[in-house]
Amino acid sequence: MTAAAGSGQRPARPRQSLIVPAGLLAFLVITWLSLSDQFGIGFDLGAIIEDITNGGRILITESDSAAQRGLLVPNWAFLPRTVDPMLETFKMAVVASVVGCTVALPVAFTVSRVTAPNGVVLFLGRTVLSVVRAIPDLLYALMFVAAVGIGPLAGIVALVFFNIGVVAKLLSETVDGVDPGPIEAARAGGGNRTQTVRWAVLPQVLPNYVAYSLYTFELNIRASTVIGIVGAGGIGNLLFTQYRFFNWSNVSIVVVTLFVFVLLIELISIWLRRRLV
Amino acid sequence: MIRFENASVTYPGGVHALKDVTLDIRDGEMLIIVGLSGAGKSTLIRVINGLVPLSGGDVKIDGVSVRHAGSRQLREIRSKIGMIFQTFNLVKRTTVLNNVLMGRLYGAGTLRSLFAWYRPEDIEIAMQALERVDIVEKAYVRASNLSGGQQQRVGIARALAQQPKIILADEPVASLDPPTSHVVMRDLQRINRELGITTIVNLHFLDLAKVYGERIIGMRGGELVYDGTAAQADERVFRDIYGRSLTADDVMSEAATAAATL
Amino acid sequence: MAGAAERPHPPTHAKRNLALLGAALLVGWAAVTVDVDPSEILDLPGGVALLFREMFLDPGPDWSYLPTALEGMIESLQLAWVGTVLGAILSIPLGFVGAKNVSSGGVSNVVRQLLNAIRAFPEVVLAVAIMIPIAGLGPVAGALAIGLHSIGTLGKLTAEVIEGIDPGPVEAARAAGGGSILVQRWGVLPQVLPEIVAFWLYRFEINIRAAAVLGVVGAGGIGFSLQQTISFHRYSLAGTAVIVVVLVTIAVDTVSGWVRRRIIEGAGAKRVDADAIAHPELAEVVTGPVERP
Ligand SMILES: Nc1ncnc2c1ncn2[C@@H]1O[C@H](COP(=O)(O)OP(=O)(O)OP(=O)(O)O)[C@@H](O)[C@H]1O
Ligand SMILES: [Mg+2]
Repeated sequence: MTAAAGSGQRPARPRQSLIVPAGLLAFLVITWLSLSDQFGIGFDLGAIIEDITNGGRILITESDSAAQRGLLVPNWAFLPRTVDPMLETFKMAVVASVVGCTVALPVAFTVSRVTAPNGVVLFLGRTVLSVVRAIPDLLYALMFVAAVGIGPLAGIVALVFFNIGVVAKLLSETVDGVDPGPIEAARAGGGNRTQTVRWAVLPQVLPNYVAYSLYTFELNIRASTVIGIVGAGGIGNLLFTQYRFFNWSNVSIVVVTLFVFVLLIELISIWLRRRLV
Repeated sequence: MIRFENASVTYPGGVHALKDVTLDIRDGEMLIIVGLSGAGKSTLIRVINGLVPLSGGDVKIDGVSVRHAGSRQLREIRSKIGMIFQTFNLVKRTTVLNNVLMGRLYGAGTLRSLFAWYRPEDIEIAMQALERVDIVEKAYVRASNLSGGQQQRVGIARALAQQPKIILADEPVASLDPPTSHVVMRDLQRINRELGITTIVNLHFLDLAKVYGERIIGMRGGELVYDGTAAQADERVFRDIYGRSLTADDVMSEAATAAATL
Repeated sequence: MAGAAERPHPPTHAKRNLALLGAALLVGWAAVTVDVDPSEILDLPGGVALLFREMFLDPGPDWSYLPTALEGMIESLQLAWVGTVLGAILSIPLGFVGAKNVSSGGVSNVVRQLLNAIRAFPEVVLAVAIMIPIAGLGPVAGALAIGLHSIGTLGKLTAEVIEGIDPGPVEAARAAGGGSILVQRWGVLPQVLPEIVAFWLYRFEINIRAAAVLGVVGAGGIGFSLQQTISFHRYSLAGTAVIVVVLVTIAVDTVSGWVRRRIIEGAGAKRVDADAIAHPELAEVVTGPVERP
């Protein structure tokens, strides 16, 4: 452009932000690297489509022997065997939810800016909590099985840690946003920290706490199906045994039970949330 | 007896909210503080119970230093000082009675209050406090279901449940309409007279200050600029405190005031 | 002195107490009948302390295992990334069809139920029951499992975001005679893209956690190392792997969280409040009338 004619000064062209193109480039590079055979996981769409067509045939294989049937040809005779493990999963989830959510309550008040006793405790608490949150449920299960042996106890403890991570984080951020007025009132009346939390903060966040607890119960039901895979009790155990023997028609029964059960729990939980909160 | 000795407050941002204030407040007095927004009224009130820490000087209550009190002693001091707030500061999701019982936290102790095992005498004190502000029939209603005036009366009952020697009220009627303001102010006046509780009130409206204040204190820029009786405080005095002539915003509706003082 | 009004009677919470009693009974039944010995509980602290000591203190992490652990974690990150991208791409059309204001009520309902059904299965179950049979052992099966699960959550959230679009501009466009509803919605997609991208990033953070353990069932990533070292009691090696998982996860969370906040602040969050953006799982929680302060 040459010098503009006329009297009005043209505004300078606003500088285009580089963030969007840079982000897009980063996205493309990371995706390409991740997909590639050499640097990444070797994702080959053609092979996958071929697998799906082949695998599809495996899924619907018919056979007289239950052990050789495909995934979509469920072995209904196996259904009764899922009842006990499913019940165990349910019990594990109940116990773990109660313990986890109870422990999460004081933890949440320790890691909220509003209710922490002091800055040092706040910082340490948050650090510990982010470590707790960084460990996946199945890894907890692996470690607790190693520590206390196979069985539901390892699974329950694993779920408890998983719950503390979820509920304490959600609740502490709810506490960060409470109305500070009642807190000031409680302190002005001579209340100590515990009393202030109990009477000025807890009533404000109680409905959220209930909702988060029910939500983690749902998460627990889903997670407890998984942790059995490493021997931590429940239906996951059954699922993995059948999977190891490539007994697809039994695997599919377990998956169906699991699915029905999870949906049922979710429906009850949603109903409860509407009633309670 | 509350004694300010060169009390000063500097907030973290560097604002000098209170400058070298020296002041005596006798037991049983009804004191009203007026001043422009930002004059330091809330700060003056909050240094009495240590909600705002002093940066210089001291405040002594019956000879006990607030500035040098440890946290346990500070809680003991606070337990004898009721506080009433502009925004009521009730826990809206719980009952009126539970709110009033917050005034018994210190008396009940941590363990009892944690599990809501209040002693019968604590409940009795709370009920009597509600009766004194004429709202006992709402004891089991959720605080969120009350009108503003009713909420402020619950706020007063919470302060009374502490069985305090001093009541601090930070603009207690600023969120209320004129007739309700008078109801609440009369409650405070009655409590001051009947129970002999030293009562310190921040007010925005000058006419209210003149009606209810025995003693009026004027603040400007963190300093005391007036200290005298309500009768002496004429328009000229208020002009001095406000640093400008008065406007309609500085007084509550004439009619309501007239009706209330009849 | 006492006012004229009578003191009210404390309300009886019969219904609430009954519900609490029922809940307590359920919990009691579960706790008593679950297959756990009291003696096991007594052994728990000792066992955990011992494991913790061996993994992290004495002998503690074996750093010669670091390259292997890092390699596994990178594979986990990659399969989480690929899974998230797959889920994100496929969730957009499903989100559109699942939004009531784009498709008809019946269709959107069916799609929503389908998305719900997908969400019901954890990634590990999807890997074991569907993806490994199809694609064989390895990270590709893991990525596919994560992708499938992500379609469920991302599809639902996308549908909700699209339903929340300010109807004003769309109505105006329709009045001006501009094509089908679908086309117009597509036109306003950029308006909600920041929110959706924030959900994707959040999903990526969650998917990393899943990807770190998919290896336990042979679906790629560091999970394989974790499972092998722990079940063969090579706790020093396991300690190294766990430290890698924790540090990398926290690092990615931090970066991703920062980017999410930048995206949302830059866009001036349209509908979903900042709270739900920071925690999209809240969007799942708050289906009931939960007040948020
Ligand atoms: N927490 C705080 N941090 C920093 N500065 C503060 C704080 N609280 C008050 N201030 C400042 O101190 C000064 C006095 O505030 P104060 O609240 O005491 O005034 P006030 O007379 O009560 O005013 P208002 O009528 O608006 O309530 C003001 O300039 C205010 O901005
Ligand atoms: Mg003030």
